[in-house]
Amino acid sequence: MIANVNQTSVSPDSAQEPGSVVQPVLSVRNVTKRFGGATALNGVDFDLLPGEIHGLVGENGAGKSTLVKILSGVQRPDEGEVSLNGTSIRFRSPADAKAQGIGMIFQELTLMPSLTVAENVFLGRQPTRFGVVDWRRIKRESAEQLSEFGIEIDVTDRIGRLSLGNQQLVEIARVINSGADIIILDEPTSALSPPEAERLFQLMRNLKASGKSLIFISHFLEDVLAISDRVTVLKNSNLVGTYQASELTKHRLVQLMIGRDDSTLAESYESGVALPAPIESRAVLSVRDLACEGEFQDITFDVHKGEILGLFGYLGAGMTEIARALFGTLKTQNGHITLDDQLYKPKTPTQAKRSGLAYLSENRRATLFPKHEIYKNVTLAHLEHLVKPVFRHPSEIAVVGPLIERTGVRPKNAELPAGHLSGGNQQKVVLAKWLTQQPKVLILNEPTRGMDVGAKREVLDLVRELKDEGVAILILSTEPETVLTESDRILVLSKGSITKEFANETVSKEDLLLYA
Amino acid sequence: MGSVSPAASPQTAGSSITDLVIQWASRHARLLAPFITLIALFAFFSWRTEVFLTTRNLQNVITQVAPIAVAATGVTFVLLCAEIDLSIASVATFSAMMAAWFWVGDPIHLGSWGILAGVLIGAGLGLINGIFIAYIGIPSFMMTLAMLTIAKGLTTYVNDGKPIFEEPDILRRISSAGNLFMGIPVIGIIAAIVLAIGHIILAYTRFGRHVYMTGGNREAAEMSGVDTKRVIMLVMTFCALTCGVAGMLLLGRVGQVGAESNPDLLINTIAAVVLGGTSLFGGEGGMLNTVLGLLIFAVLSNGLNLLPELSIYFKGALTGIILLAALLLNVVALRLENVQRRSD
Repeated sequence: MIANVNQTSVSPDSAQEPGSVVQPVLSVRNVTKRFGGATALNGVDFDLLPGEIHGLVGENGAGKSTLVKILSGVQRPDEGEVSLNGTSIRFRSPADAKAQGIGMIFQELTLMPSLTVAENVFLGRQPTRFGVVDWRRIKRESAEQLSEFGIEIDVTDRIGRLSLGNQQLVEIARVINSGADIIILDEPTSALSPPEAERLFQLMRNLKASGKSLIFISHFLEDVLAISDRVTVLKNSNLVGTYQASELTKHRLVQLMIGRDDSTLAESYESGVALPAPIESRAVLSVRDLACEGEFQDITFDVHKGEILGLFGYLGAGMTEIARALFGTLKTQNGHITLDDQLYKPKTPTQAKRSGLAYLSENRRATLFPKHEIYKNVTLAHLEHLVKPVFRHPSEIAVVGPLIERTGVRPKNAELPAGHLSGGNQQKVVLAKWLTQQPKVLILNEPTRGMDVGAKREVLDLVRELKDEGVAILILSTEPETVLTESDRILVLSKGSITKEFANETVSKEDLLLYA
Repeated sequence: MGSVSPAASPQTAGSSITDLVIQWASRHARLLAPFITLIALFAFFSWRTEVFLTTRNLQNVITQVAPIAVAATGVTFVLLCAEIDLSIASVATFSAMMAAWFWVGDPIHLGSWGILAGVLIGAGLGLINGIFIAYIGIPSFMMTLAMLTIAKGLTTYVNDGKPIFEEPDILRRISSAGNLFMGIPVIGIIAAIVLAIGHIILAYTRFGRHVYMTGGNREAAEMSGVDTKRVIMLVMTFCALTCGVAGMLLLGRVGQVGAESNPDLLINTIAAVVLGGTSLFGGEGGMLNTVLGLLIFAVLSNGLNLLPELSIYFKGALTGIILLAALLLNVVALRLENVQRRSD
């Protein structure tokens, strides 16, 4: 009775007819949300039908998370209406939304790792008997509940000992146990192995069969198409449309996400970028069959002198882990790396740095000293070259001045605490740190994430300048544009393996997404 | 690549003088606040008591605070790394015990060289602290608590539970209150030299910068290629070394050493460092803060003794109250900074 009653056409902007046969459990009409000057959602409509799995897709920054935050009470819309079972509602807080039966599963789990499975399932709502917690009932009921969904786990086991996939299943059980009829899953599979993901999908189907409604957000389009009844596509804060999953292909979905219209301007790269002919220079860094259990396998590639190699993949594709392995913070089990034709086995970042590698982490918390002055941030990595035997303030400033000039840090005051700068300028400070000594290999993980267009341009210009000076550069990004703009060659990664290399050919965003 | 245009670049245009003053003050609040406190306390006690502002009393203040100052130098390093050392007093006492034991010379006679041996043994305990904290991963709070007990136990063990009532002559000469150099107690000059060395290391050497950055953001320091584990190990060793020296000065002043010596050294030292405004959360503060904190602490505890209205028996509780006030200021300062950052 459920899925196909409501007819949605494949043309964009087709909202449902008013008064359709099945009333949506949760619906959003014409919702707009702005943050400062930026519009995060622009007049979006969205319906969740009873007993359906509804896929939600879009590029980074398309508005998925904002929509979900509105649905789960984290944020309030500036305009428009949210209604639950036909009545208009305003959630005051996430707790309020939860009380109304909307449960949210985040990428980062919120379980208590040192408690048992049973305790976690009943966390915060332990049943009592004569004033003390009724442990027997907790054990019995949590075991029943889990097996009802086809999850066979020892409920007396501590959560921290379970695999990530099983933890996720327990989290879902907990959300359902707290009375949720609507479950929102945000990128639940990005950290799961294929069999674990399959179990999750089975659970989702079971939940659907028992009448729950699910919203499934994922970058893995095959997964979305395989499990969803309908799919809603967002793009640049706007609704593209809601479609029957059975009428879509991955290719079509990618097209819808990227969009063929003009609103994205020149940065859309839909027509493709022509990669240059391969660079003849020698390979600086060679990686052969590198593997780290559970993270990545069979990773083989070269980066040449004066070349930019782009790595594209979604979260969980293993790119950050590869970078960490190269910089000595992740142990590998297999394969080897050579740097300038010598075997390179980094055990610590200190070693990696001395060998001539520089790594700009995607995690800003791990790169910046917010309370310390800009100049201290910049000189830290190569103090030994700057000061002998003691350093003096003027000489330090004299070294930093040209560097922040070169990276375009604004305001141009090296004495300012780095935490006072905007995100883009903080990133420039971190980049400047690695330029006090020219590195042989520069690894940039999400170098331009969250930056405005101008700052992005400046950083990428600087990267190109370094390339011209002969630095071998690796750019890792989950944003196709970043990789497409500057790379000489592009590797696409998916679930820990290289799935495709693009070189000396025309490549579009669509091509990248198809292999990710 | 453009010209060298450092520091001199202008502040945000259009800000008035008052704005600039407020900006300057908020950026230097960590030094300014304790400095003003010190001036106020100094003025208060000079006004309320006859004795406070006499040469004799000020010499007394310096003599009292000198051993604390030496230990505080090491503790400043530890707090800047966002660690803690609770074993400082018992390590100091153990070092002093060893020096006295070697001086007595039964069965090993080292004479005055026992002082060096004692300090090095103390530093060895600090090295053990450092290895366990940095490389094995025991929280410094627990590790140094264990070391507190160990060092105290060893102090008892060395001389079969009895105190030693002798001390190397040189220590007595150095530490006596009457030993003045240009009117300043020699013990105070020694403390000033140790503080100055600490300042030079922190402000002008690579190691000092690594200490600050390790405390400021350990992960970022590591990702910048700083060997943070080695930094922490060395800092714990250095701290124990300064405690050993402090122990010697105390031995010289008191003339005896036993397991129950120096009961207030731990609390007094940490109180002084925190009073100076060095952050308990690492990365902020420094030797200038510690000097101010030591002076505040010294003036306060000396001045309160001179106040006729105050019972001397209340002094113990008062030290704790002072420490609490300092902690409160520390947390408030952190909050204020965060608020300021958010509004930026």
